[in-house]
Amino acid sequence: MPAIIETRHLTKRYTRLTAVNELSLSVEQGAIYGFVGPNGAGKTTTMRMLTTLLQPTSGQAWVAGCSIARDPRGVRRAIGYMPDFFGVYDDMKVWEYLDFFAACYEIPEVQRTHLIGDLLELVDLSHRREDMVDTLSRGMKQRLCLARTLAHDPQILILDEPASGLDPRARIEIRELLVELSRMGKTIFFSTHILADVAEICTQVGIVEAGKLVAQGDLAEMQRRLMPHRRLQITLLGQVEETQQALLGREGVLEMRLPQPTTSDSKNGEAQPAHPILEVDFAGDDAAVSALLHDLVQRGLPVLRFSEAVHDLEEVFMQATKGIVT
Amino acid sequence: MSTETLSAPVAPPKPRRAARTVREMLTRNPVILKELRGRMRGMRAFVLLTLHVMLLSGFVTLIYGAYAATSTNVYNSVSNQVVGKIVFGAVVGLELLLVCFITPALTAGAISGEREKQTFDLLRTTLLPAYALVLGKLGSAMLFVLILLVAALPLQSLAFLLGGVAPEEFFISVVLLVATAFLFGTAGIFFSSLMRRTLGSTVLSYGFALLDTLGLPLVMLALLPVVGILFSGSRNEFAEAVFIYVMGLLIACNPIAAAITTEILLSDPTYHTLFYFTIPLSGSFSIPLISPWLPCILFCFGLGALLLLVSIRVVNHAER
Repeated sequence: MPAIIETRHLTKRYTRLTAVNELSLSVEQGAIYGFVGPNGAGKTTTMRMLTTLLQPTSGQAWVAGCSIARDPRGVRRAIGYMPDFFGVYDDMKVWEYLDFFAACYEIPEVQRTHLIGDLLELVDLSHRREDMVDTLSRGMKQRLCLARTLAHDPQILILDEPASGLDPRARIEIRELLVELSRMGKTIFFSTHILADVAEICTQVGIVEAGKLVAQGDLAEMQRRLMPHRRLQITLLGQVEETQQALLGREGVLEMRLPQPTTSDSKNGEAQPAHPILEVDFAGDDAAVSALLHDLVQRGLPVLRFSEAVHDLEEVFMQATKGIVT
Repeated sequence: MSTETLSAPVAPPKPRRAARTVREMLTRNPVILKELRGRMRGMRAFVLLTLHVMLLSGFVTLIYGAYAATSTNVYNSVSNQVVGKIVFGAVVGLELLLVCFITPALTAGAISGEREKQTFDLLRTTLLPAYALVLGKLGSAMLFVLILLVAALPLQSLAFLLGGVAPEEFFISVVLLVATAFLFGTAGIFFSSLMRRTLGSTVLSYGFALLDTLGLPLVMLALLPVVGILFSGSRNEFAEAVFIYVMGLLIACNPIAAAITTEILLSDPTYHTLFYFTIPLSGSFSIPLISPWLPCILFCFGLGALLLLVSIRVVNHAER
């Protein structure tokens, strides 16, 4: 897939602070790219540079083939931008708000009436068309702003924390809307703190910390790169110490943990102590995992369940970042 | 008759040119339409317009009442012309004062308000050029000022009823009012583009308006006795000429002073000039001068255009 957003050594330096440091990222066309990082990592600064609102100190970036430095108008034509904090004109009706921005995107007046209807339908606000913008809830304003970004049918949506401050329902609605927009062929580049959203909808993830891109790629690839070992979960009926002894020093076993057992519900609804689960970080291929299980069973150890845990994005994020705050 | 002739589309009647131009101006610059919609919606505009007209009518009533109380013959055409002139001058003077102090209020929050409302970035990432944003903001403010001026026309027309006001006086008053509105409007836009907060921009805009309307006359008043002392007894014609030109420039920078001086020059039978006159110096020489309304208009539009260009540049610039 060709890159629709590309940055090369993009840097933004203030007097005492380097907000973005030699950032080189690449977003594939049609991707939903989750831009993740702690507060102050440089996400918003990067987005402001990509949307031509901020001049980079050095480095280059291209959006839809247009250089942000040389062709800002081309960039603006290709993007729809929603900042993390944005205002709406409270003295306007919902349709007037969209009509104004459609006019700002040079859409002819004759096309605007139809377009506004379509946009309101897409974000499920058709019933509020004649209402004043200040009467909308925060989630609705967020959806209205998203509709605004789509007025000129841009190729790329750059959204800075689109779900921040929303209640769970509004958050899910925005997430579903992003998936829908992706299906319509839009490339979506968005920053968020909500890793569950990233894991659920993103096809590409970039993790940024202290202005540097520390990891980039699809989630599975990132997991393989950042967490090369496997995490095995062995549920035992007993003989935990014997099992630990058997695993100790064995080739491929990196680390063992025995998390506090929790209670589990029995069939008749009474809480019962759960079986101990031994977590083993293991470096080895499928054959080595199979051999390990075989060995445990051979020794007569009471293995109830043997499975491999999937690393979630939180673990990948914690592995990739070091908690540096600029 | 062929079917082609029958089905030939009939071109819709073209709107009249003036109407088309206004419509295009409104639709091509979405900011003007948005601002006017916002400004005229609700009670605010109506209340302001009513207060404006009430203030002017109250003022005119007071002047006419004072004249009627003191005059022995209100049916005398000569004295009617005098009162006509007074009413006209009072209305134009008050309008000038109102324009000086209403226009900055209309534009001081134009750009900074967008920043405060966090809508500035939304606009900056659209295809709307910086000049369209700035001109749209200024245009909508100027149109509102125009509404205020038009609303006051019936009061000015009272002067025509009484007589004594020449068409050129009316023309000069309109041009001066528009030029003043333009200058103070652009000053508001300029400070608004520089400042992040509307409060700061409003303070600076009013500071500018006060400096121009009150500060300059004070400077002139302070200069007069100093110059009087300097020139007492001497016959330095060059210094006299320089002083007259400097005072002329200061008068031209102040629309109220320029309007008053122009009216004096028009009314004075010695000069009675619209464009050009001469002033004799203490010696045998006399120096040429132009009526202050002309340099005043040049000053207002020139400085206004400069402030406008700087504002567009500031708005156009990406953050560094």
